[in-house]
Amino acid sequence: MVWKVTRNTVIFFLVMVVFILILLLPKEMEIHSLGGLKFEADYPFTMALYKENINEFLTYFKEEKGFGTTPGGVPFTEELVRFLLRSLKIVIPAFLLSTTIGTALGIWLFYIRNKRRGRIFSFLSWMLASIPDFFLFITVQYIFILAMIHGFPSFNLYNNEDWYSFIIPCVSLTIYPLFHMVKMTAVSMENEVGEEYVRTAFAKGMNRRQVLAHIFWNAWATIVNQSHMVMLYILSSLPIIEKLSNYNGAGYQLLESIFAYESVRAVLFFIPFLLLMYLVVMVSQFARGRVMPKDVDGI
Amino acid sequence: MIKITRFIRKNLLLYCGFVMLMVLLVAALFGEYLPFVDAELKQEDYRRIDGAIFAPPFEPSSEYWFGTDRKGRDMLSLIVMGARETLLIVLLVTIIRYAVAIPLSFLAHKRVLGMDTLIKSLNAFFSYVPTIVIVVMLAILPPVLLTDARPFWMIVIIALVEAGRVAHTMKGDFDVLAGKEYMLSGLAIGAGPFKMLKSYYLPFLYERMIVYIISDLGKVMFLLGQLGFIGIFISQALVQVDPAQFEIENISYSWPMLLANAFMDIRGPIWIAFWPAFAMTFTIFTFNMLAQGLQQVPKKKDAFM
Repeated sequence: MVWKVTRNTVIFFLVMVVFILILLLPKEMEIHSLGGLKFEADYPFTMALYKENINEFLTYFKEEKGFGTTPGGVPFTEELVRFLLRSLKIVIPAFLLSTTIGTALGIWLFYIRNKRRGRIFSFLSWMLASIPDFFLFITVQYIFILAMIHGFPSFNLYNNEDWYSFIIPCVSLTIYPLFHMVKMTAVSMENEVGEEYVRTAFAKGMNRRQVLAHIFWNAWATIVNQSHMVMLYILSSLPIIEKLSNYNGAGYQLLESIFAYESVRAVLFFIPFLLLMYLVVMVSQFARGRVMPKDVDGI
Repeated sequence: MIKITRFIRKNLLLYCGFVMLMVLLVAALFGEYLPFVDAELKQEDYRRIDGAIFAPPFEPSSEYWFGTDRKGRDMLSLIVMGARETLLIVLLVTIIRYAVAIPLSFLAHKRVLGMDTLIKSLNAFFSYVPTIVIVVMLAILPPVLLTDARPFWMIVIIALVEAGRVAHTMKGDFDVLAGKEYMLSGLAIGAGPFKMLKSYYLPFLYERMIVYIISDLGKVMFLLGQLGFIGIFISQALVQVDPAQFEIENISYSWPMLLANAFMDIRGPIWIAFWPAFAMTFTIFTFNMLAQGLQQVPKKKDAFM
């Protein structure tokens, strides 16, 4: 356990360092006049510039004793909290919904997989796991716009202030990971059906439902591992959906600060996402070791 | 004939995927000759209805099935004309990715040159950081942003960023194969590493690799779409708009490029963003279907429940 925590913490910091190093690659533009109104843009790309960037970045922290403040005087950290709370309202429900409901539906799909409706459900879930979230989002918008033209009560589609603003982005972010979870749960349980213990369990007179529980706990390690993918997926798509829906959360701000070459701000906005990943990895490793003793190293 | 229909019925997914792939290929190869496609992409600058003048974009109608963009060009024609470039980029990215990842995974499996450590750390890094964030960070670096060879560098970046993940998966496959009994026979007759790779490893991996490659084609399309929405494109040029003011201009009509103004478009003429996104979804669907269909073909084993 201690070993796992240290290892993940080391990885956490290494990832942070590599991220900062990529972020600080030199990007300064030099404009030369070619006479008249003609100019030429040049980007020198040297090791010296790179070193200078890194030094500047480090001294910034020494001088500001923290992340500093925005030009408006608000501390960056305060700004982060505001955007982050907004984003977490999307990320946390999306994660919880896709892991829990996804697993439950996956078990159900496995249970009825040889029936007709099982096949239909399998095909549907596979289809939904193939639709990119941006398309889903645009389609939902299009439908609402058409519906509003034809008399559907109109509401604000692009905002972050209304109580319902988070619903459409959240739903578009949930669909893909949820059905990915369904697929992976069903597949990993199906991989167990050939095992001897299943036959033994039936031989001992257990019914289908009891054996189902057996299979589930044996597939548990693989299923829990997927939570990592789910979180990574949600965080990857978050900035795009936030931009499209004008939700303006931390994910979008991270991208904006990278675009604007604001290194300090980008690092600050990157930390919570990395922390979320770290948390999910830790919890899933812990949950795996707890319930599935055969998976623990050394036994 | 009966055999064919039976094969189709048994592998419906594969068959559907194949038909959709044909649609894509026809659009990519012969798009400009199709009767409903306007290969010159004429602009309809304005339209006069009952004395009033309307400016584009025009809504989808019987004249323009998918509507027009802000310049009054037919969306359907734009999408068909952009198919070739888009699919070519997707294909190139995937080919480069695998051309790098396959040798890399074999070296990692053999633990040569510290490749296994490299792959492991790359994989660990990208299991923490979303790929798209790294691609964005590299794509806005001036040497990449500025050169005339930008398409080349962008394709290489997108290909290599995920090469670690692919190599990691394939290294796992190599490791599993290495434990098989028949490997010993290869060693016993004194086959060298190259001969081992060619005759003892790869023949058992082709099937899997094809599935990996096809599903990666879908993933690449997805990533390109996402990049399009946030304004990162494969081919773009820096032009001087004002004295000492430079702006990025788009110089092609591949699908992600049509999303350039998606942020504005979805608040008004949403069809401009909808149809390119639809085309990309169609492509992703096609590749996922093919991959899934191929996977289902060899599936027979014991089942006690």
